[in-house]
Amino acid sequence: MKSIRTNLGLGIIGRRNHHLGGNRVRIFGLILFSLSCLPVQSTSAQESITDKNMRFIDYYGFPGGSSAWNSIGYNPKDNTVYVGITDHRNKVALYIYDASKDSVHLKGFISELANLRPFQWQAKIHTKFVATSNGDMYFATDGGESREEYLMDHPKGYAGGFIMKWSPSEGRITNLGMGLEYESFKDIDIDTATGKIYTITYPQVHFLVYDPKTNEMKDYGRLGSGHVPRMMFTDRWSNCYYVDWRQRLVKYEKNSGKLVFAENSLPAFPGTPGEHIITGITAFANDERNGVIYFITYGAKVIAFYPQQTGIGNVVDLGGVIDVPGKEKWNYYVPNLNVGNNGKLYYVIGGHGIYAKKDQSLFVEFDPKSKTIKVLFEYPSTVFVEATGCNTKDKDGNLYFAGKRNVPRSERNKSNLAELGDNPTVPFLVKFNPDKKVQ
Amino acid sequence: MKILFAALLQACVIQLSAQYTFFEPKEAFAIEVSLEHSLLKRLPIYRNSISSLVVSGDHIIGGTTADEGLTPFIFTASLSKRELVSFLDINETIPGQRSIRTGFSRGKNNGLYAGTIANKNEKGENQDGHLIEVKLDAAGASAIKDLGAPVPGEGIFSLTADSPGTLLYGITYPTGIFFTYNIATKTVKTFKDIVPSTQDLQTLSEYVLNPEDYLCKALIEGLQGQIFGSLPINKLFYFDPASQRFHIFEDHLPEVWGRRTLGQVESWAKSKDGKLYGGNAGDGQLFEINPVNKKVKNLGKPIMMPRLRGLAFGRDGKLYGIAGSLPGYAHLFSYNPNKEGFSDYGNPQFTMKAPGIEQGIDWRGFQLGTIASSPDGKYIVMGEDESLSHLLVFAVDANK
Repeated sequence: MKSIRTNLGLGIIGRRNHHLGGNRVRIFGLILFSLSCLPVQSTSAQESITDKNMRFIDYYGFPGGSSAWNSIGYNPKDNTVYVGITDHRNKVALYIYDASKDSVHLKGFISELANLRPFQWQAKIHTKFVATSNGDMYFATDGGESREEYLMDHPKGYAGGFIMKWSPSEGRITNLGMGLEYESFKDIDIDTATGKIYTITYPQVHFLVYDPKTNEMKDYGRLGSGHVPRMMFTDRWSNCYYVDWRQRLVKYEKNSGKLVFAENSLPAFPGTPGEHIITGITAFANDERNGVIYFITYGAKVIAFYPQQTGIGNVVDLGGVIDVPGKEKWNYYVPNLNVGNNGKLYYVIGGHGIYAKKDQSLFVEFDPKSKTIKVLFEYPSTVFVEATGCNTKDKDGNLYFAGKRNVPRSERNKSNLAELGDNPTVPFLVKFNPDKKVQ
Repeated sequence: MKILFAALLQACVIQLSAQYTFFEPKEAFAIEVSLEHSLLKRLPIYRNSISSLVVSGDHIIGGTTADEGLTPFIFTASLSKRELVSFLDINETIPGQRSIRTGFSRGKNNGLYAGTIANKNEKGENQDGHLIEVKLDAAGASAIKDLGAPVPGEGIFSLTADSPGTLLYGITYPTGIFFTYNIATKTVKTFKDIVPSTQDLQTLSEYVLNPEDYLCKALIEGLQGQIFGSLPINKLFYFDPASQRFHIFEDHLPEVWGRRTLGQVESWAKSKDGKLYGGNAGDGQLFEINPVNKKVKNLGKPIMMPRLRGLAFGRDGKLYGIAGSLPGYAHLFSYNPNKEGFSDYGNPQFTMKAPGIEQGIDWRGFQLGTIASSPDGKYIVMGEDESLSHLLVFAVDANK
């Protein structure tokens, strides 16, 4: 066990200055912040949010770890947050953040915990972590694109991804086996009542349902093509949702055991390219108290979805994630979303070369009732370049994202960062609470 | 450009140094054939794996395979409109069928002939497969005529017609009985010469192989009217209609050492000069048969995976084919015996436009089950083998 570096007293500004070596950092805590290019609006509830509501938590013990992509999840059983950190090559570390004790624990590396041989290498966990009612956590592994996708049965190729279970009580991983040969997993979800696992494969976009109790796996076939939508989610009845190539919701209806397709595509801005349509949903957050699931599409739409037990529920278009004058409304990258106890949405815009403002990440609050958007914080990429992670909230209403930052050129030769390659990033856990201070 | 964009889309990658490009012919497109729960004219899920294809004029005619217990379709798509124009549920003509996997054979009077495999009954017993005749009207609407079941209790696994279009030759499933069908007189003759022997079946069972793995998947007529195919284990035969006799080749199918039990012809194409090109499913070799001395020449493997699911000549004189299959991905390849030999184009990825997706989306064909060329060789058409399958089409450059 190792305690986190709390940075208490430094705050994020102090930490940022440390990393940037004097670069000027612009942080706007209160919504005094206004960008001439951003239509920022204000609400009264926002007055108390400062950088004290935000905290970046470092990992330890894995200098080569560079990022996470949605490999984060919350375990309500013991108020912990799970994160898989990858080196994008063949090592994936499992971290557990104990929210009650405010400490980070490196549990080990997936290949060792799951007894994988070198030819079963896994480059990352790409799925979220999902919890069963008894506190076990499920996730699945991924190969990391080109080497996975094209070498295949070559000796250096990819054997396929694995579904795994972490048992907190036993402190060990159970490897539940592969899905489809040579295919990895991009996301996973669970029927908490039955324990059945829903998952989607890469690159052939097959929707699978796996029952760990019986080891039965059913392939419901391919639902997409040119790019695999990265997100699936469940409703209160444990029906599972995904999208097809037209960005129509596809529901696995557990009572019938069949796929149900929405007749219409999700809302999209005019001019949204097909490449963005086919990529589907990038983030979701479930507001269970209000019976609504919010999600964000790769076309930058914020959508409220009201699921129903049978059939597809209502979809309400809440508008765009932000609107920067002169920029296409569909062209923002938001692979993360959380909903606060205040009912508002929080997400980070930017990453993978797509930014609302050049090389800046924007931390945004979206009020679904008023449809108002506020930029709470703005970060240079050397402080916060991208966040992933959805629907991760602890019992105290703290919201979590898997964040990372670019390493400035001046720092790239430092010995502890040497393993990060030519374009290094450093991962960290983001903890945010709109209603109270977290540092 | 597509690669650059694809790199941006790889939302989980720090850096994607893609060392591949997609095949981009000047004219290429995908046609959306299947879509569950839609007001558009589309085939429903799990009943649309495109297992037979032929091109006639502006029309692509397809036959599908359904999941067990479901029934397949005959459909027509327009090359010029780039859309599905009609389809027929086979169940409305012949109840209980599951698959049309024989391809289409051209008969006299513009008839297209195919065979079906039925769903099993409640006891798990095989049921009758039927021969069907398909005719199109000018708008592409099809009509199906049931020609009956040539062999009771058997489905039809492979089929071809003679050049005059008066006789059909087929192999049944699961037994592997060779049969002829006279279209005019509706008479059937059956032959058990190529039915796997008891000893062969014992060997095949040691490798846990099923009839799908060893029965001949495709037949073709040679220039002298002989019908060519394969039989276990790893053998080639031809049937001489004149003598009504079968001849087993001295040469066997090309093999990878230790894997000859997998030998199985699953595709054929005939060049203008009468050479026969075959695809071996077992290890994915392309081979050539000398029509005179019946010698077999191994032309090699276009990719490292097994399967060679289809072959079709383009107007540029190249032989186009589909290599590979699950658990890998299909690759489009060409073979030019005089120049570059094999060229591997990988998974074809073409733009699919349709109402609601007018901007176009990139459609990547992971699993391709069939390939056909238009009679003039301009268009190569590929059909997907998926739960929701589509067509991928490209135009071949004119031969210069």
